[in-house]
Amino acid sequence: MKSYQYSKSQELFKRAAKVIPCGIYGHFSPAPLVPATSYPFYTARSAGARFWDVDGNEFIDYMCAYGPMILGYNHPNVDQAAANQIKLSNCTTGAPSVMVELAEFMVDLIPAADWVFFAKNGADVTNYSTMIARDATGRKKIVMIKGAYHGASSWMQAPGHHGTIEEDAENIIRVPWNDVSAFEKAIENNPDDIAGFIATPYHVPAFADNELPDEGYWKKIESLCRKNGIVLIVDDIRHGFRLNMGGSCKYFGFTPDLICFCKALANGYPISALMGSQALKDVTARVFYTGSYWFQAEPMAAALETLKELKRMDGPKTILSIGKKLLDGLVDMAKGYGYDLKVTGAPSMPYLRITNDESLMLHQDWCAECTRRGAYFTSHHNWFLSTAHTDEDIQQTFTIADDAFQSIKKQYGNRF
Amino acid sequence: MGHELIKARLNLYAVMKNLEDLVQFDPEMAALSKTWNVSIQFSVLFGPKAFIEFQNGRCRVEKGKLSKPTIRLFFISPAHLNWMMDGKGFPIPLKGFTKIPFLNGDFQKLTKKLEYYLKPTDDLLKDEKYVELNTRFTLNTAAHAIPEIGNLDRIGKHAVSHIQTGDILMKILPDGPAVTLRVRNGIITPLPEETDRPMACLYMKNIRVANDFLNAKLDAFTAIASGDVMIKGQTPMLDSMGLILDRIPVYLG
Repeated sequence: MKSYQYSKSQELFKRAAKVIPCGIYGHFSPAPLVPATSYPFYTARSAGARFWDVDGNEFIDYMCAYGPMILGYNHPNVDQAAANQIKLSNCTTGAPSVMVELAEFMVDLIPAADWVFFAKNGADVTNYSTMIARDATGRKKIVMIKGAYHGASSWMQAPGHHGTIEEDAENIIRVPWNDVSAFEKAIENNPDDIAGFIATPYHVPAFADNELPDEGYWKKIESLCRKNGIVLIVDDIRHGFRLNMGGSCKYFGFTPDLICFCKALANGYPISALMGSQALKDVTARVFYTGSYWFQAEPMAAALETLKELKRMDGPKTILSIGKKLLDGLVDMAKGYGYDLKVTGAPSMPYLRITNDESLMLHQDWCAECTRRGAYFTSHHNWFLSTAHTDEDIQQTFTIADDAFQSIKKQYGNRF
Repeated sequence: MGHELIKARLNLYAVMKNLEDLVQFDPEMAALSKTWNVSIQFSVLFGPKAFIEFQNGRCRVEKGKLSKPTIRLFFISPAHLNWMMDGKGFPIPLKGFTKIPFLNGDFQKLTKKLEYYLKPTDDLLKDEKYVELNTRFTLNTAAHAIPEIGNLDRIGKHAVSHIQTGDILMKILPDGPAVTLRVRNGIITPLPEETDRPMACLYMKNIRVANDFLNAKLDAFTAIASGDVMIKGQTPMLDSMGLILDRIPVYLG
């Protein structure tokens, strides 16, 4: 099977590095891709579950733009709804009427929430959720999970990272995932000082197996929050609408006070949402927060259409089923080569790791070889699937994965 | 731990360590020191202790104390040692008074040459041989500074707490030099050789790239994306190591 080359990506990157810090920054930086030179950097076009890079290479996309694409690129209904809205209005003086329609739809959709506040990015709403928690409780500290990611604001980053100061983490307490007693201890050590507990529905660290909640974990956390007057915040930015249309809290059976959504909310159009309980509505009203483009109508129209479409087809169920089909096939195939391909997390957003080599180099090489053959796999991050991934995509992925397994078997022999 | 104390440890354990390679790779210094049979003990009150031993044309720099050094130099504080290293102060000799001319003469030539290699200028970096040695010494300094900062500096300690057990390999392609940082239960030990079972690797494409990278003239993200620097394995280990590397200029900048 032919391996892709990326000369145009590299040429463009050289130009970019002259005028953009590190060429491509943030989570799209090629740096965590191993080796970076096995991956495309720039997209030329996209459709369905596929994208084409500037070198003309075609990829079945298992990252879905790191989550936003859930119905497929260029989804006709979503794009039409966005285009229709643009014709009417987009950024104007005055809030758009579609905002109310979207808010009503979302409040009906998410049983745990009674209101919604719109912004642009995930960190907008995770930040805002902590402000609301602090205002509601009059307390300072936020408990989060070690290794969790809630955006790139300074309080969310581990101490020592560039651009942060020690005081940024002064009011942050980190506890291990699935460790209820650590949370209890934090409460005991900080009496009447914890404003909020923030976590993703299940733990999705990079470079490590994802971890589902232990039986009863969320109920215990919820109960501790209620008992101690702590605001329970679920960061559903990555998981949202890939587990349950009612929010991931519905999937795991608990009721948070605040829920953060972004990524899949509008199938690629820029919008995030903070949803919350009636008890926090008036508090939220008095915590001032806004942004230049937060009233943009086009993404709201796109979000409304995305959610309608996902609800109509039961998107999460569809994606979980597609993911299962893909993962079962890959795991079986790996076995045939003597490799243990471990899958953690939900099939709609799985994390994969070949366990034979704890350094991850074998797994990194397999992901890179798959990517160079047209199945875009990352080795450091959970993947994302969409409703647009077809049986044909999966069959083609199996062919690619098989060829990549042969390649790494040839490279490593029986070392693993 | 105080700034001066960490700096003193870096000076003794990381910077001075380069004397070993200096007498091996610089022909002039090799010729100068080939007949030396002398040992110098450095002792800092409430601070680090290390010795330098010259024997049979080789140099050995180690932590700790020699039982019978030829020369014993004492420093009343970590800051005192740092002043000397910055050329602003003098040690207190406790033993080996007859060797003071050696210290002020030939030994000083050696330390001046090391300083020359560790303080590059744009002009000096036009010389390939200079680049080779500057790169070697910078890599070596980094390898020995990382454990000190990782074990003593507050931010460094936090970074180390996230590094899993295993070997980190830093290598300049195609044939080295290379250093290994062995991490065991939160303690980092530098090894001068290439590990055969790395948990994480950082490869620099050639000596020029390595020189720019190690002297912070090359943005790591750009270098990785372009393939000038290649990383593999448990790259979070490298991320944490990078945070420690970035602390070196705080003390030696």
